[in-house]
Amino acid sequence: MKLFLKDQRPLFSFYILQLLTVSGVYWLDGYRNIAMVLYAALLSGCLLAVYLVFRYMSNRSFYRCLEQGEGLDAFKEVSPQTPLSEYLHRLLKKQYRHYVSELNRQQHKINHHLQFITQWVHQMKTPVSVIHLMVQDSDDSRSTAIGDEVDRLRKGLDLVLYTARLDSFSHDFVVEKLDLESLVRAAVSAQKRLFIRSKVFPQLEFTSKEPLFIATDEKWLTFVLTQILTNAVKYTANEPGTIAIRGYRKEDEAFLEIRDEGVGIPDSDLPRVFDAYFTGENGRNFRESTGMGLYLVKQICGQLGHRVELESAVGQGTLVRLIFRSEFSNLTKE
Amino acid sequence: MFKIFIVEDDQRLAVLLQEYLQRFGYSTHIVQDFDRVKQEFEAAAPHLVLLDVNLPKYDGYYWCRQIRNLSTCPILFISAREGKMDQVMALENGGDDYITKPFDYDIVIAKIMSHLRRAYGTYAGGGGERSVNFDGLRLDKDRLYLSLNDERVELSLTEVKMLEELMQRGEEIVSRDRLLEKIWDDQTFVDDNTLNVYVTRVRKKLSALGIEDALQTVRGQGYRLVPRWEEKQ
Repeated sequence: MKLFLKDQRPLFSFYILQLLTVSGVYWLDGYRNIAMVLYAALLSGCLLAVYLVFRYMSNRSFYRCLEQGEGLDAFKEVSPQTPLSEYLHRLLKKQYRHYVSELNRQQHKINHHLQFITQWVHQMKTPVSVIHLMVQDSDDSRSTAIGDEVDRLRKGLDLVLYTARLDSFSHDFVVEKLDLESLVRAAVSAQKRLFIRSKVFPQLEFTSKEPLFIATDEKWLTFVLTQILTNAVKYTANEPGTIAIRGYRKEDEAFLEIRDEGVGIPDSDLPRVFDAYFTGENGRNFRESTGMGLYLVKQICGQLGHRVELESAVGQGTLVRLIFRSEFSNLTKE
Repeated sequence: MFKIFIVEDDQRLAVLLQEYLQRFGYSTHIVQDFDRVKQEFEAAAPHLVLLDVNLPKYDGYYWCRQIRNLSTCPILFISAREGKMDQVMALENGGDDYITKPFDYDIVIAKIMSHLRRAYGTYAGGGGERSVNFDGLRLDKDRLYLSLNDERVELSLTEVKMLEELMQRGEEIVSRDRLLEKIWDDQTFVDDNTLNVYVTRVRKKLSALGIEDALQTVRGQGYRLVPRWEEKQ
């Protein structure tokens, strides 16, 4: 209603102006019957009111939609009664269709792209596999150096794959009840080459007497752990070094802490570590960093319902903490 | 003598697998014509099949079904795809196991042996995997002992893994890193000191057999086993 009245304001003003003008003309001509003038004004006012009511009623739904400021969807309900609103309605419908089809087109493009990337990564895994086999058996420095690079290649490919899959996460994950400790052990052992080559060794400490069961997806969580472990090793400059991995239970939650004694993250960078493509001070000083590792960790944990925390001090090291809501861990009380 | 049938279109990968398997005493056949996999299978009559999923013409799942019409031998899929659905597909199409690329030789061999054991009930693969021989020194990997002539000494599993690597390399130097990789234990992992500890232990065990100065440290490179026991024989 407010919008309608606001819209009719000029009409009001001109109507009053016109009324005054006509009365003025007659007044100047000598007509002095004020009662009659007022009566005429009143009659005229009523006609205006009737017109306005009629106008309002026919466009009520239209005005209401405009006032509420809802999206293009809402206008589908409105049935236009006046020429202006009808044309506007048509325009809105056309825009809406256009926007939906454009969205679909873009979505198609993205899907194609995703498919291509996934195919490509899988194809690349074969030559990587070949090289890996070729050097696996040899022990000379050249082969081990090639082996190191192949490990990095493989990690890079996995990074691309998981980033691409993140968008269609809901199709790709299966939640199970898993033992946190064995999952962590498997992830750590899978990286044994990395630890040995960099002379930074893991130490595991699970203080809980019973196994810590959590609800998670093995594949995705393993990827997250690999990212964190790789970071921890990468940013530990002294050798030999240690990565301390602690698992414990507090009330209804299971905690996993991975601490390194590396270079740490400057305070100024801390708030942004989980941003995509963020490399910060360390990214500039160390080897190539895509800046995607921690971003993926945060996204994936978010999807799985796990919390991520990070603490760090320059020169002292970094601690990454994963917190698992374990409705399953209640079962260990039995 | 077990025969392994390799269905992999990447020729280099196939050849690498073949070489490795032959070292373990298996005979192999690499498929040449991917239109006639079934016929080649019939002609080769293998004991086990290594089957890639992505093949020219028909995919691995198709060939698995075809082979299953002829035989119930173990079929191990190899593929770059590690999705759960891919694995389920493989198993539902008649496969017995699934290995993802890139893979380690260790895993391939372990799985092949495991499936052969289950299917044919024996360990025999041409010998050489259950025990390692190096110039008369014999390492029994199953029963965990080291023997020279008639004397034997018991070993821990880690010591076995270490000696296995050293003995398989003959007199070649084995790097520290490689040894650490081999003795990596899922329960206690390793650290910088672990290797020194085990080298000392292994030396003691060798001494128990009367072998001295065989396990040599090569500074900056690693360790090697020099057969100093020939004089004793």
